[in-house]
Amino acid sequence: MAQTSPLKFAQSQPDHARAGAIMALNGMFDDMDALGVLRHAVTELLPADLAIVSSFGADSVVLLHIVAQVDRALPVYFLETGKHFVETLAYVETLKETLGLSNVVALRPDPRDIARFDPDGTLWETDPDSCCHIRKTEPLDATVSGFGGWVTGRKRFQTTERGVLPHFELTSDDRIKVNPLAYFSDADITTYKLKYGLPEHPLYNMGYKSIGCAPCTSVVAEGEDPRAGRWRGLNKKECGIHFDFNGAIAKPMAAQELNLYKDGKFIADPFRAWAEGDDPGSVRYTHIPLPVFLANREAVLANPHPVGLLVSPGDNVELVRDDLGRFASVAINFPGFTDGRGYSSARLIAERYGYQGELRAVGDVLADQVPLMARCGITTFLVRHEPTKKALADGKLATVDLFYQPVGKTEVPVGTRPFLRRAVEKV
Amino acid sequence: MYRYDEFDAAFVRERTQQFSDQVRRRLSGDMSEDQFRPLRLMNGLYLQLHAYMLRIAVPYGTVSSRQMRMLAHIARSYDRGYGHFTTRQNIQFNWPKLRDIPQILADLASVEMHAIQTSGNCIRNITTDQFAGAAADEIIDPRPVAEILRQWSSLHPEFSFLPRKFKIAMTGATTDRAAIRFHDIGLQATTNDLGEIGWQVWVGGGLGRTPMIGKLLSGYVAHEHLLAYLESTLRVYNRYGRRDNKYKARIKILVHEEGIESIREQVEAEFAEVKGGVLTLPQAELDRISAYFAAPQYELVNARSVDVAREKILNPFYGRWLERNLNAHRQPGYVSVTISLKPVGGAPGDATDTQMEVVADLAQRYSFDELRVTHEQNLVLPHVKVTDLPAIYEVLVKNGLADGNAGQITDIICCPGLDFCALANARSIPIAQELTRKFESPERQAEIGDLKIKISGCINACGHHHVGHIGILGVEKKGTELYQITVGGDATEKAAIGDILGHGFVAEEVPNAIERLVNTYIARRESPAEPFIAAYRRLGKEPFKEALYGAN
Repeated sequence: MAQTSPLKFAQSQPDHARAGAIMALNGMFDDMDALGVLRHAVTELLPADLAIVSSFGADSVVLLHIVAQVDRALPVYFLETGKHFVETLAYVETLKETLGLSNVVALRPDPRDIARFDPDGTLWETDPDSCCHIRKTEPLDATVSGFGGWVTGRKRFQTTERGVLPHFELTSDDRIKVNPLAYFSDADITTYKLKYGLPEHPLYNMGYKSIGCAPCTSVVAEGEDPRAGRWRGLNKKECGIHFDFNGAIAKPMAAQELNLYKDGKFIADPFRAWAEGDDPGSVRYTHIPLPVFLANREAVLANPHPVGLLVSPGDNVELVRDDLGRFASVAINFPGFTDGRGYSSARLIAERYGYQGELRAVGDVLADQVPLMARCGITTFLVRHEPTKKALADGKLATVDLFYQPVGKTEVPVGTRPFLRRAVEKV
Repeated sequence: MYRYDEFDAAFVRERTQQFSDQVRRRLSGDMSEDQFRPLRLMNGLYLQLHAYMLRIAVPYGTVSSRQMRMLAHIARSYDRGYGHFTTRQNIQFNWPKLRDIPQILADLASVEMHAIQTSGNCIRNITTDQFAGAAADEIIDPRPVAEILRQWSSLHPEFSFLPRKFKIAMTGATTDRAAIRFHDIGLQATTNDLGEIGWQVWVGGGLGRTPMIGKLLSGYVAHEHLLAYLESTLRVYNRYGRRDNKYKARIKILVHEEGIESIREQVEAEFAEVKGGVLTLPQAELDRISAYFAAPQYELVNARSVDVAREKILNPFYGRWLERNLNAHRQPGYVSVTISLKPVGGAPGDATDTQMEVVADLAQRYSFDELRVTHEQNLVLPHVKVTDLPAIYEVLVKNGLADGNAGQITDIICCPGLDFCALANARSIPIAQELTRKFESPERQAEIGDLKIKISGCINACGHHHVGHIGILGVEKKGTELYQITVGGDATEKAAIGDILGHGFVAEEVPNAIERLVNTYIARRESPAEPFIAAYRRLGKEPFKEALYGAN
C-alpha cells in the first residue's frame, strides 16, 4: 500500500500531486525514447524500487537490451511457471549471458497452490484461467507489491483500444507502471533487434509468434482490465483539489527573516500575524482578522498602537469601509493561489474606498500571481516561496507589461492608447 | 476581420514569452506540477489521458485563410496530422510535446492567434453565431462587441482565478445559433423603446452535471455600459460564487441558490458604483472596432438563388448538399456555406492538415478570406456567391468534406470521450461513428429531417447532450460503459433540457434504440414538415419512452 511503499515522494506529496507529476512525465519524452524513459524511472523516479518483469518471449530481448544499458544489476523477474518450453529456459540463459544481466530472478508458483489446485499438472486443460492465476498472477503480485513500480514491455499496438498506453501509468494501488516500449510498433521491434544483432528466441524462427504457456505473451497484460491503468483512479483525486495551506501567517514570524517585498527590495516585516489569545485593544504591529475587528471595533479603534487588518476570502470589506483609515497596513489573504477573491477585495479597498496605507498580499504569494495582484492595487508582498523570492529579488518576474483593461489607479497616457488599453505600472 | 495592431501583437508576444519561461521552469523542476497547472491551463494546455492537449482560441469562431494554414502547419509539424474543432469554436491538438509548446505559441502569434484563456477558471473564448455579419435574420453584427469583450477579458487581473470557468456567448440574430441560454452569460441583441440596439443579459445557464437554462438578468444594457455591467456581474460572482465544491462553483449554482432577484440586486448595486466610470465604452471606439468588421466588397451577382430542385434531379448529392448546407445571406446573390466535419464513420469535428489547407484555399478564393468555426463542430464559408457553389462543391468532394448533412441526424456534436479525455467515463466518438453508419443513407436522413444528436462521454456534458433533440450521455456503472438517452433538449431560443426516459443502454444497443425513437417520430408526426423536436413537444414523453423500453 501507499503508506508502506518506499516511493520517494509518496509520503511528502498528496496523491493528486504525485499522480499529476507522473502523468506530466508522459509529455517529456520522445515517443521512441525508451532508454530515456527507463533511465528516468530507474534513476529519478524509483531508484532501487523498480522491478522489471519479462516473459523472455519473442520480443522480450528489446526491453532487456535497454535494461542492460541502464543497469545490468536491475532485478529482472521471470515467471517460471513450470510449463515453459525448454527453448525458453535456454533463452533465459542466453540473454543473461549476452546482455550481462546479473540479477534475473525466477518466480515460481506456491507449491501449496500447485498441490491443491493442480496436483496432476492438467489444470491448463480444464481451467486455463485458474492455471494462469496460480502460476503467474499470484507470484507476480507477491513480488511487485514489494516495489514502488515495475517495468513492462507492453506496446500500444497490442492493445485494442486506440492509443491507451502511455509511458508512465499510476495503478489504482498507487504503483507506477513504466512502459518504455509503449510507442514501439511491430516493425520497430524487428528493426531494433536487427540493428543491435540481438539473439532471437529459438522458437521464433520456427513460426512461433507468441511464446509462453498461455496465449498472451505479456504477463503484465494477464487478466488485467485494459483500462485499469488509465488514470481512472485519478478523476476523483483530481476533483476538488484544495490547496492545503494552513496559514503561514498564523505563526509569529522571525524578525530577521527578510520576507516582505516592498519598494523594490526585501525587508524584515515589522508586522506579525494575529494569534489566539491576542488582545485587540493592546496588540501592536499585528494584522487583526476582519471578523475579530468587527467584534471588537471599539477596542481596536481605541488601541493606541499601529495595527493592521487581515482580509480573508469571504470577508465583506464593505463593512470596514469607513474604518480603513485606522489601519497602518491591510493584508489581503490568499490562502491558496487559486482563490481569487482577494483580487476583488484589493480593488475595492484601493480603488473604491481610496485606502492610502500599505496594501499587502499574504499567504500563497507566487511569482506568477504577483503581477495580477499589483494591478489590483497591492503594493507589498509577504513571500515565503523561495523561487518567487528569487524572481522578485532578481527582478525577473515573467510578466505581460501590456494590458487591455482599465484597472487600478494607473495613469492613462492620453491619446497614446485606444480605449481599453493601459501601460503597466511597475511593481 | 479584426486585425492586430502593434499593441495586440506585442501583448501576445509578451504572453508567449511569459509562458515559455513558465514551461522552462516546469521542465527544469523549479515549478511543481501543482503550481504549473493553473498557469498552463490559462494558456490552453491540458494534461489528458496520454499527453498534453493544446486548445487554441478562435475568437468568436472567426479565422482567416492564413490562420487556418497555420493550424494545418501545427497539425502536421507538432501533432499527428489532424486537429479537433470544439463546441466553443476553438481547435484543439491532442498530441503536442511540452517542450514544443513555446514554438507552437510563437508560430500562432505570427498569425495573430494564441491559446490564452482557453481553459482555467477565467473568462473563456467569447463565442457567437457562426453566421454573424452574414445572416439574413441579424439585428446587429455581434463581432465588434465580441472583440471588445475579448480585449476586456484578456488577462483580466481580477478575474483570472474565478471560482470556476466562465463562458460568454452572444448572438445578434433573432434565431439563437450560439446556445446563449446555456452559457454563464448569454447576450442577445435587442432594441429598447427608442429603437436603439443594446443587449439582453442572460445569466446562469449551463450544462454539466446540473443543467440549467439561463435567466434574464437585464432586459436591456446599452453598448456603452455593457463592460461595466459585465464587470459588475463578474465581481459578484468572484466574491460570492461557491468555492467549497468544484461542482457547485459555476455561476448557475449561485443564481440558483441565491435567486435571480437577489443576484440582480447585487449586480445592480455594483453597477451603480461602476457605471459611467472608466469602463464606459465611447462610441468612437465601438466605431473603430466595427470598421474591422465592415461588410466585404460584395459583387453584383445576376443569379439570386440556386434552383435546388433542379440540381437535385441533375445530381442528387449536390442537390442535397445545397438543400442542407446553405444559410440565407443578407446580401442578395450570396449564401453562407457549412462545410460538414461529420463524415460517415468519422470523428466529429476532426479535420486533417490537408483539409485545413483546402478550406483555407476556398476561403481565400471564394469567401473574402474568411472562415468560421461553428459550435456544432463544422466550418463555414460565410460569404459565397451562389455562382461559385459548383466549384466549391467540387473541391469539397475531392477532399472528403462534401457531406450534405448539416442539421441532420449524422451532424452530431460529440466530445472526445474516453479515447482522449481524462475525465470521461465512456467512449463517445465510437458511438457517433456507429450512429453515422446506421443512418448513412442520405434518403433516410432526408426522411428524418432536422434532428440534432449530441453525445457526451461524461456528466460534464462537453458534447451538450442535455440540449440535443436526442442526447446521449456515457456513464460508467460497475465497470461497464452505459449510455443514457435523453429526448427533447433544445439549444436555441426555445431552450429546453432533454428528459431522461429510463435506464441506460450498453453501447451496442444505442443505434437501435435511437432508430426506435426515430421510427416513432416518423410514424407519429403530423407531416414531414413537423420536425422531431416539434413532434416531441406535441406528443410528450410517452410514445418515445415506449419506443425505448416497450409498453408496460
